[in-house]
Amino acid sequence: MSRGQIGVLPRPTTLADESYLEFITSFRRLAIQEMFPKVAEHGEVALAKALDKGEVERPDGGQPIKLSEIRKVFGQNPVTPTFQRFVRTQQEMMWRRTRESFYRDIDAVMEYMADAEAKHPERIHIDPNFVVPDYTRREIHCQPGGYTDDPMGGIVFHYGTKVFYEGFNDQDELHIELAEKAAKPADGKVERILDIGCSIGQATTVLKGLYPEAEVWGLDVGKPLIRYAHARAVEQGKHVHFKQALAEETGFEDGSFDMVISYILFHEVPVPKMKEIIAETYRVLRPGGVFTIYEFPSNDKNQVSASTRFLVDYDSKNNCEPYSPAFVASDFRGIIEDAGFVVEQGPGLTNGFLQSLVARKPE
Amino acid sequence: MNEQSKITHVPAQLGEEIGGPGKAFFDNVVIDNILDALLELSAATWTFHDRVNVLEKVLEKHGINVSEEIEQHLPDDAEIAARAEERAAMVQRVFGSFVRRPVAGVSVPSGEKS
Repeated sequence: MSRGQIGVLPRPTTLADESYLEFITSFRRLAIQEMFPKVAEHGEVALAKALDKGEVERPDGGQPIKLSEIRKVFGQNPVTPTFQRFVRTQQEMMWRRTRESFYRDIDAVMEYMADAEAKHPERIHIDPNFVVPDYTRREIHCQPGGYTDDPMGGIVFHYGTKVFYEGFNDQDELHIELAEKAAKPADGKVERILDIGCSIGQATTVLKGLYPEAEVWGLDVGKPLIRYAHARAVEQGKHVHFKQALAEETGFEDGSFDMVISYILFHEVPVPKMKEIIAETYRVLRPGGVFTIYEFPSNDKNQVSASTRFLVDYDSKNNCEPYSPAFVASDFRGIIEDAGFVVEQGPGLTNGFLQSLVARKPE
Repeated sequence: MNEQSKITHVPAQLGEEIGGPGKAFFDNVVIDNILDALLELSAATWTFHDRVNVLEKVLEKHGINVSEEIEQHLPDDAEIAARAEERAAMVQRVFGSFVRRPVAGVSVPSGEKS
């Protein structure tokens, strides 16, 4: 059944699946890269006019415009619901066909993961008594079964996110970039690295390549993701540990890591959990250790455009991102500073939508 | 790995986000349906186009020019039945949205309506 791989990417199990999913990839690229900018431009102009005419209330000093007003103005453009319809529909088409395709090969995929576990059981850490908290059992991005409850979730996530990234991450290009740009401790000592919310370990394995002498750990709540991450790492000959655990309760010793990274994790957890994760990261980093964060934008100082707020709001409601609006509204940087970190601007990524921060634990 | 890792089913309470009657983004739900159909139809068209392309290349590798034979091909009963089944499945994919959501005037879950 297997048709092999395209570099590091699994190939759908039939040509028809591959053609269909490649079509969706191309269509998504058009919707996001070409259609949304027009919706955004139209909405921003319409909003400015509505503010001038007093049709939309201008908020007092520095306060954000009400989201309900943004929705109303952007919604007056008939292209807006068309864009929304298209993006939702392509997402549904993508998950249905991706799952259908890889489920045809379920025995081989399960064996791929089991074989890796038989070869290197010392590198996968799953506590049979681990309880998956309800807040994590959400079908984030509409993925059936979410990160936690579809045993095939790893490979489905892998190909599904290939489509999500519009073909720009087929060979883990974005993960290579973010791992390469992750900040190092000032003293240069890197013996242990932790990737929290590592999903299928795309950045984790790259980090091992960059720091071959370091002990590298990937941690995620989703067992299907961890199992697939482990199998990929074994296949690539990368000696990496993967652990199913909560980022707010890692089980690691105090001060036991030199570097921690997180990639688009925090907008997928409730704000109280976000605070717990930041405190836990502070605890496991050694003095002088550094935490690199790539994340959704925050709007605590009204720095995010109306069109981006509109997109995040849409994404939250229609792409199953239940926690992202609260995240975006939070003072993310302030929360990290409150935990004791010294925070600076992080490295820019090709994906300009994301913010990045570097949080250092004082010596 | 423990026994738990061998479970291959998705619990019933999950897998529902993209199921059900579907979201609507237009006041007139028929527009949602038409756009869904357009996407499925386009995906199907591309998929078939891709397959024919590949097929012709494979045959060419074997020195076979099939264009004329395709035009002269007459299917038997079994092939007719199989093709009808595939065709029905395609119709379902393309036009399924029209039977997925209730007709106008009946409440549908709201998508992003401003």
